[in-house]
Amino acid sequence: MNCEELKDLYELYALGVLDGEEKDEADAHLARGCETCRKSLNDALAINTILLASSPSVAPPRRLKHRVMASVGVERSGWGWAAALAAACMLVVALWLSVQERHRATELADARRTLMQISAQRDSMQQALNFLNQPETQQVGFGKGQPAPPRGNVFVNPRSGVLLISSNLPRLDPGKVFEMWLIPKGGAPRPAGLFQPTAPGSAYHMLSGPVDVSTLGVVAVTVEPEAGSAAPTTTPIIAVQVGF
Amino acid sequence: MLLWKILPLAFTFGLLEILLRFKDDAELARRLKAREPHAMSDLYDRYGRIAFSLIYRIVRNTAATEDLVQETFLRVWNRAQSFDQQRGSLGPWVLTVARNRAIDYLRSIDGRMSAGSMELDRLENPALFSDFEDSALSMDRTRRLKSAFEKLSPNQRMVIELAYFEGLSQTEMAERMKQPLGTVKTWVRSALKALREELSGVAIA
Repeated sequence: MNCEELKDLYELYALGVLDGEEKDEADAHLARGCETCRKSLNDALAINTILLASSPSVAPPRRLKHRVMASVGVERSGWGWAAALAAACMLVVALWLSVQERHRATELADARRTLMQISAQRDSMQQALNFLNQPETQQVGFGKGQPAPPRGNVFVNPRSGVLLISSNLPRLDPGKVFEMWLIPKGGAPRPAGLFQPTAPGSAYHMLSGPVDVSTLGVVAVTVEPEAGSAAPTTTPIIAVQVGF
Repeated sequence: MLLWKILPLAFTFGLLEILLRFKDDAELARRLKAREPHAMSDLYDRYGRIAFSLIYRIVRNTAATEDLVQETFLRVWNRAQSFDQQRGSLGPWVLTVARNRAIDYLRSIDGRMSAGSMELDRLENPALFSDFEDSALSMDRTRRLKSAFEKLSPNQRMVIELAYFEGLSQTEMAERMKQPLGTVKTWVRSALKALREELSGVAIA
């Protein structure tokens, strides 16, 4: 086919609907730089453009521009607000979970502390029971027959120490503790440990370790500041003669 | 009932006016090549309506049209590097990409894929538009083309419709219209010749 014959085909060629030998001929002419055919193609493009643009005008939806812009990475997609909302919700949930976690951690720590206290009390009571069961342990009662002062018993074991069990104890002011003293015969009081009531008005306290019962004269209890004192600063609320 | 009676090829000027308004968009082409974010926004503002209208005319489905418009602008954005900003014309190129995306879609749902898809892809090459002269588009030429188009016979309009807006080859047109291939080719060539000669100012013989 010559250029003049091909001229009739370039509109179809540019539309991609030319097939067979006719398309091959057009390709060949353009490939070898045929100026006539190149001009024919440009003329065809103009006709095609005008015919395609003769379509009725229809307004695209507004959201389409956002979508197009998002597709080339120039703008966030229309779902950006949803992503932001989802992120905000996730943040709230994360904060709530964090608070819950912290709350649970606090509860867990409290439970662990309570368990440790119970465990310590159990060990202490087990120790006291063993102490009481030992044959060397000797008992001295105090406060019997008197309604107001503390009442109870002091148990002394030369190998294991001194155990004080008392009730009717006075109420402690804030920042105060009970402090036990071992007072040798003719000597100064020696600190024998701090304790607080295990129940209102009741307490038991044990000083573990060997005790020289031959020199021990008095087991006393005073109310002291919570850090304890090196020597009694108040009048003893309990003072038990233990001369064995 | 013949198809052309229910799908007459309408000839309106709305999109053409937009196209003519933005003939000189070398600066926009330069910004597109430079990947300036606002260039894409400006390109859509200029040609979004044209692309949407043309694609909708072809596929007649709003959701599919939106998908294809997105695909059109993505292609233009990705291929802008090859565009000759000094000589090329963006409007005809965008229009061609939009039309080809829509035809490709029609062919895919009709099961008419194969080599046609690659051919359309090849014909969207910006280099093809590098020698396109803006003077080829003017309201005067558009009116003359419209005048020539209105003189075409129904069969001639029909083959134009099938080629431009359905992407049928002459063989496929013959099958669709149940006419001999030679007859269809005669309608196609005579229709295009009439349009061409009207544009070049030569009287139709």
